[in-house]
Amino acid sequence: MKTATVLVIAILSQAVGDVYVTRGMKAVVEISSQTAPTGGLWAKLLSYVAVGLHAARSPEVLVGTLCLIVFFALYSAALSWADLSFVLPATAFGYVLNVAAGHYLLNERVSSVRWAGAVVITFGVVFVSRSGVRGARNAIEAMGISASPDGATIVATNPGGSNAPKEVPTAEVLD
Amino acid sequence: MIAILLIALVVLGGSAGEVLTTRGMKEVGEISTLRPLELIRIAGRALSNRNFLGGVFFMAVSYFSFLGALAVADLSLVLPATSISFVISTIGAKFFLKEHISAMRWTGILLVCLGVALVLISPGKP
Repeated sequence: MKTATVLVIAILSQAVGDVYVTRGMKAVVEISSQTAPTGGLWAKLLSYVAVGLHAARSPEVLVGTLCLIVFFALYSAALSWADLSFVLPATAFGYVLNVAAGHYLLNERVSSVRWAGAVVITFGVVFVSRSGVRGARNAIEAMGISASPDGATIVATNPGGSNAPKEVPTAEVLD
Repeated sequence: MIAILLIALVVLGGSAGEVLTTRGMKEVGEISTLRPLELIRIAGRALSNRNFLGGVFFMAVSYFSFLGALAVADLSLVLPATSISFVISTIGAKFFLKEHISAMRWTGILLVCLGVALVLISPGKP
């Protein structure tokens, strides 16, 4: 529950940060393209440097970056008590939120194929986060039995993805 | 094309960063307090941890690439595309952190790959 709360706040600040950062970078590119000369490789590299310098002074990029730092701090905190392979899929719910933010807040043209892709990613994320193998595997190992390599049977008995080994009934784990 | 290159940098830098920060934070220890002084001491320990600092470096590379990608492409393309980092991170979790990866988790990862493919072929910018 603690992990879920922290990650929900993290995902929201990530979406807000991404919207600000995207707005800022799009504006920076517009300014830079007005001043940068068109030409060879050096001119191109110079224009990239110009984009970087403008980005460092863009208030929108800075505000967005601050939001993303909040995201990073909460994410790092969660990593101190939870596995990377649990925290990562949980935060991936933010991908769909960001597509929605791009469409509704940034007026991006999001085609049905792109929405479908985001939805498929969400299903993948649900699959990944439902495979709460860690707790169940620990419970089995505590009983002196090694976990099956695929872990599929354990997953079915532990749909909540609980990390608490004690909550896994012995009979169901062995089923 | 440059967007794809930058997204690849986002993913690789981010994955290396996540594996290293996880190692670092596990060494630093669980944050079980909200007392400011104690939190500052934990932050100090994290900032003197080599794994954590290496992770932050790779995350910085990843972040600047992310900014570059957002300068040339849609957020609704760049962000879902970066979810391909799942594959890299799961492989990292399996081989570097020695975590067990179930068949169900691999299935989810395959779905994520399919989703990313759909997002990348979808019309829009670029």
